[in-house]
Amino acid sequence: MTFKDFKDNIRNFLKDFFSYKSGVVGLVLLLLFLVMLAFGGLLVDFPQASSRWRDITYWEDNPVSAPPAWTNWFSKQKSAKHEVIGSSNIEEKSIGSMKMITYSFKYDYSYDLAPNDIVVKAEGSGSPIVKISVQRPDGNTINLYSSSTGFKSDGTLRVSLNGDAKANVYDFITDFESEDVLSNFNMNDLIPCNVIFSKAEENIVEKANALKGKYIFTVSYILKNDSDTVTNSVINFSGRVYGVFGTDASKRDIWSGIVYGLKWALIIGLLTSLTSVLIGVFYGVICAYYGGFVDSIMQRIFEIFVSVPLLPILIVLSAVVKPSIWIMILMMCVFFWTGPVKTVRSMALQIREETFVEASKALGASNARLIFKHIVPILLPYSFATMALSVPSAIVYEANISLIGLGDSTIVTWGQILHDAFTGGAVLKGMWWWVVPPGIMIALMGMTFAFIGFAMDKILQPKLRTR
Amino acid sequence: MSEINKNDNIIEVKDIKKWFPIRRSFSEIFKGKQRYIKAVDGVTFSIHRGEIFGLIGESGCGKTTTGKLIMKLLEPSHGQMIFNKEDVTHIKKEKLSQYRRSVQMIFQDPYASMNPRFKIKDVLEEPLIIHKMGKDRDERMEKVKQALLKVKLTPAEEIMGRYPHMLSGGQRQRAATARTLILSPSMIVADEPVSMIDLSTRAEILHMMKEVQRELNLTYLYITHDLSTARYFTDRIAVMYLGRIVEMGDPDDVIDNPQHPYTKALIAAVCEPKSGKVNIVKEVPIKGEIPSAANIPKGCRFHTRCPYAKQSCIDNPEPELVEVGPNGHLAACSRYIDIKSEHPVL
Amino acid sequence: MNENNEKILQVNNLKVYYYTSKGTVKAVDDISFFLRKGETLGLVGESGCGKTTTGVALLKMPTPPGKIAGGEIIIDGQNIVELSEKEVRKNVRWEKIAMVFQGAMNCLTPVYTIGKQMMETLTEHKQMNKEDAKKLIVKYLNLVGLPEHIVNRYPHELSGGMKQRVVIAMALFLEPKVIVCDEPTTALDVIVQAQIINLLKDLKQKLNLSFIFITHDLATEAEVSDRILVMYAGKVAEIGTNQQIYGKQGPMHPYTQKLLKATPRIHEKVDELSFIPGTPPDLLDPPKGCRFHLRCSEAMDICREKEPQLIEVEKDHCVACWRCTKNV
Repeated sequence: MTFKDFKDNIRNFLKDFFSYKSGVVGLVLLLLFLVMLAFGGLLVDFPQASSRWRDITYWEDNPVSAPPAWTNWFSKQKSAKHEVIGSSNIEEKSIGSMKMITYSFKYDYSYDLAPNDIVVKAEGSGSPIVKISVQRPDGNTINLYSSSTGFKSDGTLRVSLNGDAKANVYDFITDFESEDVLSNFNMNDLIPCNVIFSKAEENIVEKANALKGKYIFTVSYILKNDSDTVTNSVINFSGRVYGVFGTDASKRDIWSGIVYGLKWALIIGLLTSLTSVLIGVFYGVICAYYGGFVDSIMQRIFEIFVSVPLLPILIVLSAVVKPSIWIMILMMCVFFWTGPVKTVRSMALQIREETFVEASKALGASNARLIFKHIVPILLPYSFATMALSVPSAIVYEANISLIGLGDSTIVTWGQILHDAFTGGAVLKGMWWWVVPPGIMIALMGMTFAFIGFAMDKILQPKLRTR
Repeated sequence: MSEINKNDNIIEVKDIKKWFPIRRSFSEIFKGKQRYIKAVDGVTFSIHRGEIFGLIGESGCGKTTTGKLIMKLLEPSHGQMIFNKEDVTHIKKEKLSQYRRSVQMIFQDPYASMNPRFKIKDVLEEPLIIHKMGKDRDERMEKVKQALLKVKLTPAEEIMGRYPHMLSGGQRQRAATARTLILSPSMIVADEPVSMIDLSTRAEILHMMKEVQRELNLTYLYITHDLSTARYFTDRIAVMYLGRIVEMGDPDDVIDNPQHPYTKALIAAVCEPKSGKVNIVKEVPIKGEIPSAANIPKGCRFHTRCPYAKQSCIDNPEPELVEVGPNGHLAACSRYIDIKSEHPVL
Repeated sequence: MNENNEKILQVNNLKVYYYTSKGTVKAVDDISFFLRKGETLGLVGESGCGKTTTGVALLKMPTPPGKIAGGEIIIDGQNIVELSEKEVRKNVRWEKIAMVFQGAMNCLTPVYTIGKQMMETLTEHKQMNKEDAKKLIVKYLNLVGLPEHIVNRYPHELSGGMKQRVVIAMALFLEPKVIVCDEPTTALDVIVQAQIINLLKDLKQKLNLSFIFITHDLATEAEVSDRILVMYAGKVAEIGTNQQIYGKQGPMHPYTQKLLKATPRIHEKVDELSFIPGTPPDLLDPPKGCRFHLRCSEAMDICREKEPQLIEVEKDHCVACWRCTKNV
């Protein structure tokens, strides 16, 4: 075929393809996926989400099990969003030989439900005295925290108010809360954030009303000597809702997981389906073409492969070798090629008997020519359709493997997110945002390739073109 | 026809047999028995260079299998084939490739014999590519165009760009003929080339084939069940029954003066576009059904259906072809003289 | 054949069109003919002339996307084009008119015995009990020359000829008045063909049946049909008796003449077989005037302009040709 013929073929093919709505939809979805893949890094706040998926420290500052931010639109009571506030003002003062650096933070609270936690962070060294206080819109000032806090070896400091400010906040509420309520209330049950942002009135511990307005947080670091340094202090308001898909029980941003999981989904899906279908189709054609003894032997080998259950092998393998995604892909290729073989063999057997194959043989065509020029092209539609449909198969299979805990722990895949969701009791706790997004993505990926496969199937059928 | 040299045989087929083994049951394997479908069971004939030789018979008689044996699409179980004075019974690779260049085939179904996904130019180019003829694409395309012109399929350029289903039956068969001619063969095996084509175009195709033959001095083996066209088209015919030739000779002799009872029955059965036959129940001197090729009857294989069969036909060995008339008219019937005297009208 | 026999089937101005995505194919475009009781009318023409379409239309079963676009088909005094599908299925199809399809022997289901398949029609259609049905089946099998034990055989155990006989028996046993046979012998060997033709003649006589025999082979038609209808490109070219078409005088329409010349005869030695150059017209856009004029060597100016009507030139002989009818 000349280049012109090739160009014509492609043009005709594309014209056909776009006439099928399903093909267009599939292609659009695929393009969206590819865009997401290419610009993934820009879309997420956690660029190292894939490699540090299991690193707790990376996710420290996220809220636990927070639903997505946009759920606020659907609820009457607005939950506090996750925010990281930088200081609006820094003051340095010298007190004798000590230095005091004061950071001021402005926080505009307009929600009904308070943030999950307030975390004060800084970088530095040594063990300064940290004082934290808040000035509320109603004029009250609460001294939240005052104590010597050491920087960790990596030069970071974290103070979580929900954990460390309980006593101080309890003092605050005793000023106005009724005796009855207080006597029945255990201080350890107190959630400082809920108090800080609520109106100072009776029954604040049970049923609080939000106090909306401007809050000013002041964090002072008293550096006793030269070994104490501090820079870059921020306050992390850990939202009740978070991001596009919320967080899971390990504080991980699910949206990052989805975006980075896409890369692996495509790799697993495409590699497995391409390899297995290629092998399977050629296996079937060789069986059918040569027939007789060759066919018998090859069919017996096929039967062995089909009878071997993949799952127990993966389980055994995972005991011996550290489960890696590449080994999983290899195993899937090794066992999935059996899929198209029987059908391809039947089709090739029929094609082999066609008169035009006989005619070519009579002209002196070699076996290779008959196979590759006459038989295989007729099998292409089926091959493409099978490839398209086995992509989601492979992805779901990997998801299942991860579900039972045999997945590769160095990467994040949609299947693994699902696995964690189930082991983390997401369904029981009603954390739909943990389960639904990965599930839908798997389904969408499947749909994309299915649509493309269907459209190609319709086109590549040796239909009568009468142009 | 007068140019045919009766001593110059392009191909000689001697006692050729093709037996297909039947799958055996365990007990049969145990007993060591093997049954065969004897599709071709001892066929001997020669084709003179430049003649059109017709092989006539009904379905199951072995004529298509004989054609495939000559095309070397099947290997004979027994016998000898001599082509241009060389023994080609079992040849491989280089010699086989040479043979394929010399002997080509036209198939019955003009649509099925071409890959529907190939354009006509690709269909015709294929033999050139296989046999590495023509330096480059342009030279090959030129050869393709020439072949199409020879079969008068015009405009050649336009036809080359079409797919098989865009041509009529007659045009397809012309293209198929062009495909056989492109390698400049010396012999063409035509298996029912016009049976799937309209009546009004049939004669056109046969006419074209005859012209091509004269121009290129080709030899044809014309396989058909249609005795009427065979009479017009062939120089000699052989009638086959259940894997053997039962009568052979000049078409006029065989059709006007058949000696074998099977040929007589065949000719009696053929319809003619003549008036006055509507209310007559045609007498076809034959009985029963054709036996299976796995169970060839003892003695003369036609005896189960022959209206003139006697005990001797079953007891005696199978009759060979003997001369029953002038011009090399042969028939394989041991009682042909007796039948003539017993039933003089026929 | 008695010319005074009643007309059992009358077709007036029948039109069957195929409504395809590329346009309307006028496969059968205004044809009229009749069939007398006890006669065989042959429908002859090349592929694409509309003869098979006419055949299935007579049973009101045009192949989709085909539809009967107009005209009347009057069987037993009733115009079946007007009847609903349900009525046709109950009272007309197979009861009044039956069909032996092309390649019918391949229509037998391979997984049921012959007997079961035949039984199904009787018990479902006529609500017969098994006893009576069996008797009827055996009667008709014998009538077509098959032994009784065939009922227990599967289709693959029978030869082509035997299968064709079974299908003919199946067309008969509801005792219809008209049987349409579409190329019943084309797929068969020469000898079996002759035997089946003999069978049809025998049945016609014994049961006083009327046949419509569709084929492309003029030779077969000559031995089977009392009257012949020649179709070309969806229209009737000529209707005549066997004697008028095949006799010494020969047919009048140029197409029929040429077709006859192109039919090889076994007992005649010919040096050249004639043929008709060109191909039948595209029925999506048929040519103006006479549909045959492009291939006709005797076309006149009027042939290119106006379509000729079917005119009776002598008793039982009608031609649609300007040249033939200009003196009438």
